[in-house]
Amino acid sequence: MTPTERTAFTPMRVIRTLAALTAALTLAVAAAGCGDDETSGSTDTGAAASGEKTKVGFIYVGPKDDFGYNQAAFEGSEAAAAELGNIELLQAESVPEDAGVERVMERMISQGAKVLFPTSYGYLKYAEAVAAKHPDVVVVHQGGLESKPGAPNFGTYFGTVYEPVYLAGIAAGKATKTNKLGYIVAFPIPQTLANVNAFELGAKSVNPKATTTVVFTASWCDPGKQAQAATALISQKVDVLTQHQDCTKTIIETAERAGVSSVGYHYDASSLAPKGWLTGSEWNWGPMYTDIITTALEGKFEGSPYDGDYRVGLQTGDNPFVQSPFGPGVDDATKAEIETAKAKLADTGIFTGPLKDQSGKEVVPAGKTLTYDEVEQMNFLVEGVVGNIPK
Amino acid sequence: MTALRRLRPPDPAVLGRDLLRWGSAVVIGLAGFAFFVAAVGADPFEALSAMWRAAVVDPIGPGEVLVYAAPVILAALAVAIPARAGLWNLGGEGQITMGVVGATVASHMIPSSLDSWAALPLLAVGAAIAGAIWCGIAAVLRVSVNLNEAISSLLLSYVALRVLDYLVNGPWKDPGSLGIPQAEPLPASQQLPLLDWLPVFGGGRLHAGILVAVLALAVVLFASRRTVWGFRLRVVGGNPEAARRAGLPVKQLIITAMLAGGAIAGLAGFVQLTGVEGAAKGGIAGVYGFLGFLVSWLGRHDPVAILIGAVVVGGIAVGGDALQIDAGLPAASINILLALLLLAVLGRRGRARGAEG
Repeated sequence: MTPTERTAFTPMRVIRTLAALTAALTLAVAAAGCGDDETSGSTDTGAAASGEKTKVGFIYVGPKDDFGYNQAAFEGSEAAAAELGNIELLQAESVPEDAGVERVMERMISQGAKVLFPTSYGYLKYAEAVAAKHPDVVVVHQGGLESKPGAPNFGTYFGTVYEPVYLAGIAAGKATKTNKLGYIVAFPIPQTLANVNAFELGAKSVNPKATTTVVFTASWCDPGKQAQAATALISQKVDVLTQHQDCTKTIIETAERAGVSSVGYHYDASSLAPKGWLTGSEWNWGPMYTDIITTALEGKFEGSPYDGDYRVGLQTGDNPFVQSPFGPGVDDATKAEIETAKAKLADTGIFTGPLKDQSGKEVVPAGKTLTYDEVEQMNFLVEGVVGNIPK
Repeated sequence: MTALRRLRPPDPAVLGRDLLRWGSAVVIGLAGFAFFVAAVGADPFEALSAMWRAAVVDPIGPGEVLVYAAPVILAALAVAIPARAGLWNLGGEGQITMGVVGATVASHMIPSSLDSWAALPLLAVGAAIAGAIWCGIAAVLRVSVNLNEAISSLLLSYVALRVLDYLVNGPWKDPGSLGIPQAEPLPASQQLPLLDWLPVFGGGRLHAGILVAVLALAVVLFASRRTVWGFRLRVVGGNPEAARRAGLPVKQLIITAMLAGGAIAGLAGFVQLTGVEGAAKGGIAGVYGFLGFLVSWLGRHDPVAILIGAVVVGGIAVGGDALQIDAGLPAASINILLALLLLAVLGRRGRARGAEG
């Protein structure tokens, strides 16, 4: 194209073009905006109108069919809605852990949401920011710890994930022939470190020679990195693989193909590994979601146990994180041992001294047991875990 | 000077044609999307009107569109300037990331008590320098060993992501973040002010970053149309060999074009850091580098077309939330919409170009 060709520009032509464009856009907009008045009208009347459903928003970091964390939370939301009946769910999946989630929460609020469940760890500060802006909306964050002093309309909740993980560790410790277990972890946060430690302690309780090799992927769900880590661990003679990832499909399928055992997390994925599946842990969020929503909608959230950092487990008797069914590789003796350990855990807890970290330094003295709050601050890996916390 | 002005690219004509093509392509793309929505059993009317409500009718919608558009504008300009000289800057993501690093370094170098009016420009300068250096590496490799700048700038992005990951996992890690790898929050004086006094756009998260983007756009518009440098870039882009024989300092022009592009991408990092996140963290560059590249190419590297394209992309992103929340469509539907719109725009343009040729 030569410059002279391009000088065919005249003001008239631009005006004509702009006019045509405006007309086209107006048409598109008019078409798109048609149903507008009715729809926004119905949102404005809100829950006050009789028969109107109350809106509750759920936000997930990954897809809601990931055989993992997000699917478990999604199914929990559906269970709560089915239980309560008069609830309309607003769902948003695959929302990254950045400030964009504020926009998603704001959109849900402007759609009339009265309770929000931002369910990923990295949503915490954005969830707190949105809660501060909207005192009339209850925001509950899954898995984080509230900044102190907390807002009256904000709280966090979680199960004690490491308890069923400890029990699964027993199954793994019994099943391994090489005495090498593998743990593929997303980020080195207290929650994940506690799980790795619990798994190793569980395995060691039945098999003193068992070690757990840990790999961090720096992503909640990156199937490429997961496959890489799983293959690397298997080549190092690891014969039981488990994980702290949001999506669990890749690792379990990789383990099954390689003929090694797998332990699930977040969701019952035993259908993916009919041979190698040992057991796992999974969420049963429905009852807790139902109770949180009921508490919030009755106006009783402020001052309730949920208005803070709400944690339950075996010791309180209502852990939403439960054991998955056993696979064919777990014998009855092991099952009995796990039952015994479960009863003991409800009594004593897992992180009971003396506990040494990887360097051999004593981190929990004899006679002391870490409380749920203390476990939330965990920053070490116990003796027997191979691999370092990334610095 | 008259000669220069006659040779000045008559961008408004191109722009007018582009606008028409964009407009009709948007309509075609939306129509295609409506079929898709109907195919998955949802109401296409409701889906599209939900997008419109979220991006335009919702009180915070228009502001959110501009929050999204600001880094896209800057990332697109970072592609457009080198493109005038015939260069491909594919490293927007890395340069944005380094902009975040540069701004955070600047933040560490100045006292936190420094007032906003002094602190923010210093952070912006830090971001621009870091972005320029990152893009400059690709430029120097191009003029010294003739390494293709498209490849080197793209690969340098991965290095930049690692640099930021290292910093937020190590030296800069906020001990109060409970394991989330991110730096300590910037002091309030180093965060861009909200434009909450603005009618229509205010009330939400809209911050002064859009002003930074528009200012950068004005500077680029002026530099490319009214300066000798901008003219020479086009000459190099048209025919580098002819430019060299005409005695133009081609290497110098290549390097300055890439430095300018990198500096503007760095500003996108500054805007995201000080206007949106408030603390350096991995993944902060998001998909803005990629979107900037698309917007710049679709708009033929014309600054005004970039402005419009970025706002359209912002509108699609903000409206896309509603596809899930209001209309209950899967998250991937927004990608399908974006892809259909791109195909429609490219298809229209391909046809138009074929007709001209």
